[in-house]
Amino acid sequence: MTQETSQKPEYIFVNYSVPRIHRWSTGRYMGKVYKEARDNKRLVTNRCPKCGELMWHPEPMCGRCKVDAGDDWVEMSDTGTVLQYTYLVVPMWDPHRGERWANPHPLATILLDNGCYIYHFLEERDSEKLASVKRVKAVWKEDGERGNGINDILYFRAIEE
Amino acid sequence: MAEKLEHLDVFIVEGKIDIPNSYSAGAVGSKFLIELRDNKRILGLRCPTCDRVYVPPSSTCKDCFGELSEWVEVSDKGTLLSYTVEHRSNVVQPVSPPIVYGVIQLDGADTGLVHMLGEVDPKHVEIGMRLQAAFKDERTASLLDIKYFKPLA
Repeated sequence: MTQETSQKPEYIFVNYSVPRIHRWSTGRYMGKVYKEARDNKRLVTNRCPKCGELMWHPEPMCGRCKVDAGDDWVEMSDTGTVLQYTYLVVPMWDPHRGERWANPHPLATILLDNGCYIYHFLEERDSEKLASVKRVKAVWKEDGERGNGINDILYFRAIEE
Repeated sequence: MAEKLEHLDVFIVEGKIDIPNSYSAGAVGSKFLIELRDNKRILGLRCPTCDRVYVPPSSTCKDCFGELSEWVEVSDKGTLLSYTVEHRSNVVQPVSPPIVYGVIQLDGADTGLVHMLGEVDPKHVEIGMRLQAAFKDERTASLLDIKYFKPLA
């Protein structure tokens, strides 16, 4: 111990992680979204029977007409237009797994061609080229990797039109 | 459960929240763990007033509240004071069940050290049995550098 007295003492840090595993139900309306995304690689939502407004995400009741929204399901577009984006530096948390998503992609507000707004990632990561990304199309995860609702879309890829 | 709810048109998501933690073992705990790692020695702190040896070491005596600084080495052999058998699987457990957790009073110590028992049938564990620490080959300054306590032949 004598030779150690002149040195800075070593301190031990105890590292541990306690993952909490839990299962939760999406409920009936979001369950439809999760199932359609996993099984058929498409986004669906429901339409108000009175005003005809598309919900996104699907709701049991139309917020404007205060009537039961029911089961008038429609398929959402998988193409859209970028309205705005944020260039991400730090990876975001995966809300389903509590882990960091690797390789941050820019987060964008996208106006889908059926008139619904969604918030999702863009494939283009180059901050110089981002401004030129206008029209985009969804890229879905592979079979077996889906089951996380809207996150079954990997990101939106720029398309030429 | 997912099968039962299938007809209700709901979707069950397998979720997980992972919270990484880190805390300092402190001056006393660090020395204890470093000795486990580097020399496979189990150290305790002795209270000269109460003549009691604490393993795992504590910086203060629980009776006289005196500050302890007299390090002593204790044996890697000891006696089982109490135990419990864990059959359920849980993510926080270091090994898969069944796990025998025991309170072991090492020779030369006056307190019990909580650890696992190994190389023993859970049905044959008895209070008072003699045990010896089995160290891992690759040690990382953790209490789990002691793999488990095995029955003394």
